Amino acid sequence: MEGPSSRLPPSLLPASRDWMVGRRDSGGDAESDRDIKTHFRVCRFIMETGVKLGMRSVPVATACVLYHRFWERASVHAYEPYLVAMSCVYLAGKVEEQHTRTRDILNVSHRYFNSGSAPLECDKEFWDLRDSVVQCELLILRQLNFQVSFEHPHKYLLHYLLSVKSLVNRHAWSRTPIAETSWALLRDCYHGAMCIRHIPQHIAIATLHLALNSYGVELPVGEKEWWQVLCVDVTKAHIDAVVSDLLQLYDMEAKCV
Amino acid sequence: MDRDLLRQCLTYHGESFFNKLKCEQTENPDFQAVVSDLCKVSCESKSDGQDSPLVEQFIARKADILFCPAWKTTTRQEEEHEEDDDAAEPYAIMPPVELFMEVSYEERRAMLYRDLEKGDILVGRINNIREYGFFLTLLCTAGGLKRDVEDLELSALCHIREIPSTGSHDDPLSYFQTGDFIRAAVKDIDRYQEKITVSLQQASLSHNLEHVKLGVVPREELPIHYSRSVCAAADSTETYERILKSCHGYHNPSVVAYLLEKVGVSDTHPPSMMRGLQSKLFQEEDFASAIRKKQSASWALKCVRAGVGYFKHSHHVEAMNEYNKALDIDTNNVEALVARGALYANKGSIMKSISDFELALKTCPDHRNAKKYLCQTLVERGKQLEEQEKLVTAEGLYRRALSLDDSNPEAQEALSKITDTIQKSIRLREEAVAKEQDKATSSQISAEKLRKILKEEKRMKKKRKRSASSSSSSNTSSRNSSPSSSSSSSRRRSKKKKKKRRRSERGSKRHRRISSRESSRRREEGKSEKDRKVKEEDEVEWYPAPPNTAATFLNQKGGPGFGEEEEEGEVMVKDADDRRISQLYSLSAASEDEESDSSRRENKRREREERRKNSLSRSLEREERGSRESLDKSRERGREDNRKDRRDSDSKRRSRSDENRKRKVSCSSAESEYSRKSSFKSEYSGNSGSASKRVERGMRHDSSKRNSFDGGRCESRGREEIQEAARETDNRKGKVVDGSRRSDVGNGKRPEGAGSHNRQCSVTSVPEGRATKDLPSNLLSIFNQIAQFEKQKGAGPK
Repeated sequence: MEGPSSRLPPSLLPASRDWMVGRRDSGGDAESDRDIKTHFRVCRFIMETGVKLGMRSVPVATACVLYHRFWERASVHAYEPYLVAMSCVYLAGKVEEQHTRTRDILNVSHRYFNSGSAPLECDKEFWDLRDSVVQCELLILRQLNFQVSFEHPHKYLLHYLLSVKSLVNRHAWSRTPIAETSWALLRDCYHGAMCIRHIPQHIAIATLHLALNSYGVELPVGEKEWWQVLCVDVTKAHIDAVVSDLLQLYDMEAKCV
Repeated sequence: MDRDLLRQCLTYHGESFFNKLKCEQTENPDFQAVVSDLCKVSCESKSDGQDSPLVEQFIARKADILFCPAWKTTTRQEEEHEEDDDAAEPYAIMPPVELFMEVSYEERRAMLYRDLEKGDILVGRINNIREYGFFLTLLCTAGGLKRDVEDLELSALCHIREIPSTGSHDDPLSYFQTGDFIRAAVKDIDRYQEKITVSLQQASLSHNLEHVKLGVVPREELPIHYSRSVCAAADSTETYERILKSCHGYHNPSVVAYLLEKVGVSDTHPPSMMRGLQSKLFQEEDFASAIRKKQSASWALKCVRAGVGYFKHSHHVEAMNEYNKALDIDTNNVEALVARGALYANKGSIMKSISDFELALKTCPDHRNAKKYLCQTLVERGKQLEEQEKLVTAEGLYRRALSLDDSNPEAQEALSKITDTIQKSIRLREEAVAKEQDKATSSQISAEKLRKILKEEKRMKKKRKRSASSSSSSNTSSRNSSPSSSSSSSRRRSKKKKKKRRRSERGSKRHRRISSRESSRRREEGKSEKDRKVKEEDEVEWYPAPPNTAATFLNQKGGPGFGEEEEEGEVMVKDADDRRISQLYSLSAASEDEESDSSRRENKRREREERRKNSLSRSLEREERGSRESLDKSRERGREDNRKDRRDSDSKRRSRSDENRKRKVSCSSAESEYSRKSSFKSEYSGNSGSASKRVERGMRHDSSKRNSFDGGRCESRGREEIQEAARETDNRKGKVVDGSRRSDVGNGKRPEGAGSHNRQCSVTSVPEGRATKDLPSNLLSIFNQIAQFEKQKGAGPK
């Protein structure tokens, strides 16, 4: 399968291509660390593009899951990550019924890489870019065996939020931005491959747990903890694992940007 | 920073967190403002450090985001009471989670008394009815708070005063039975003695639950979460997750969007704890819609530019395509609208162009070109309307044009003119009314007048008859303008030159029509012939320059029209009329110019002949330029007449030509008769209503100006005689007729006022003169005979 990376013109390449530099001569650990950073940056790109395209959280999450699943099967050397990301955004829009136009994706991406630049002209380069995005979309579909719909934690989190809310005094709840915080944490999960390593319920519970924890909100405790009720098989260890993965991503931000 | 939240967090996490917080937020001035306040709190914290230091580190590091007041996007949302309708369940309504958590009896009771508030809704079953009210065993909460209260053995009193009475004599309690399910509002809670009183009065509900009806409810209408919790309590295998997945609402594809709105989180500006993803960092111009807008505008502009390029090379279809493409890419693109409007105006679709300009001005009210063009187009449209006698509408348009550009000279001029015209017409109408009244009074004179009118009508009829074959007569007249030349014409030649002649004939017809306009105007002004001549020369300069609007500028370039639509087609026809007229103006002017030249240089015949050729070719061009549709009818007629002409004997023609000649000689004033006829013809051929109206007006004019007209004819008679004499001498010499020379001679004798005569010759005589040379001698003699015959006949009445 010929990679479409060769078709991506320099105008769409990010200024810093440091993940390419010294890839060959570095050891395994360092390489995987570099890959993680690359993917973090590209996921940041997906998130930002998603916001600028007006995409909802679920399609953005799907785009990220597509992206991470793609790299589960493909080597980072073979394909251009940002092109894959653009195609993931495009494909996710289709999967989640929030269609985004390739033109918008190209526009936003172009401006992301060349900030403050004039919009693309309607010329051959534009159509070449468009073609490469569409071709790469087909590549992703084949790589994922056309399994492109995923269950996301978003639905769980929202229902959990409502259930937990009725445990808390209404005034205390309205004072505390738990919904915003847990939603933000959930979205931030998608910066790393942790979003496909953990099951959705666990992620939802972990983000809600961390949000409650952050504000020191105490819930009544009966025979079972609230999270044990919401998901039968979740354990404290699960939650801690998700939370620690998530916290690593926040550490990564400082390292990558 | 939200001090309360921070304090709550500190109380929970304790000393170690406070230290981390101080460490991480040293540079945060907001934190420094509250730090002294928080010292106390951290000291009395009960925390035993159960959380991992990593989490504390995270909270400390993100404290500026977490405790920022702007972070909380939820405004205090009033809880809406959902209609408990299973079918419309937009999300999974779950039983209270403490049911599964198996929270202790005491804690739940305490929680309820803590959280229950006045105005909340409770659902219970009546267990005891007393004379002062009834007692409820509480089953569940509804609206606002969702709690599992069934096994808490709570009871509430509903006093008789809190039951709305339906009649004055009835005991309100008689409507209730033990075991009824009652929905009631919390009236009061005594948290220390743990007593709850409820009310059935709607007024006691909190204001966001006002629409909920209190009173007896059937079992089916009990809240969904209650019935689900009953099921869950009955079956120990039921888990939260299983119930969740069995709910309709969970599978609702838009459940996320619905619930996000419910919890008050924005999904278009989603929150993030990542510093790089804070929504305040995103600039509006980086968003897809903004870029797209900008891009569309630039793409559209490119198309407009291409279109203007085409337009400059008169590729109007391509230009229109480009403009439409531009508008497809970017609807309401101002430049494209202005350019297309200009193109429409040029093609004569004035209404369309006006709408385009107006749309452009709507989006960009200060666009200079749009304003300018709209102004010009409005004036143009006004002129059209003026011609259709819609004076008031036209006046409105001029006024609007002036409101756009109050310094526009054309609009000002047109407006002042039209106000004059309107006033004049009003005056005329008044006069007419007065006249009619006069008529009514003087019955004696009316008989005479009637006779006069009848006479006139007869004359008119005659003329009409002639005008029915006017094309043929004009044809002959043009050929016979010098009688000898007409006599030399043969049937065969006429066949040969049929096409050409028809063309020239049409050209000359147009000439006549236009000159009739001029002359009628002149008559109106009551000027002498000499004045007329001067005027003509004036007009030479005045007419060829059309009004400088873009519309007229392009009206004269025929080109492929865009008149597909009906409305446009109408406009096109009108336009075609205008166009023809303006062409004629300029053309007649040109030929008049030529005349004056020729009169000066009598002897340079050859030169003039060349010029005549030019004028002929020009007339052909003119012909082609003229609008086809409007000419079709006259062309048909012309063909018919031609045929008739050929069939008829020469004598008939001759008799007509006699008259024609006279008229020809008598200059433009005589021609006006023709013009009237031709305009009559147009009336009969069923032109538009406006045209016929115009003609009617013309008739009125004619009758009033008859006298001066006749005088003009008398004047010219003297000259006519001279010409006649000259012709006779020529003929006596028995020479082969040379029309061109003849006309030259005529010209030489009449240096002034012979314009029309000369013109006719110049159009037709050249080919005739040439053809004569080719004819066999026997035919020539026949022609000579005919010419002589004609002459005799012509001379007879003299």
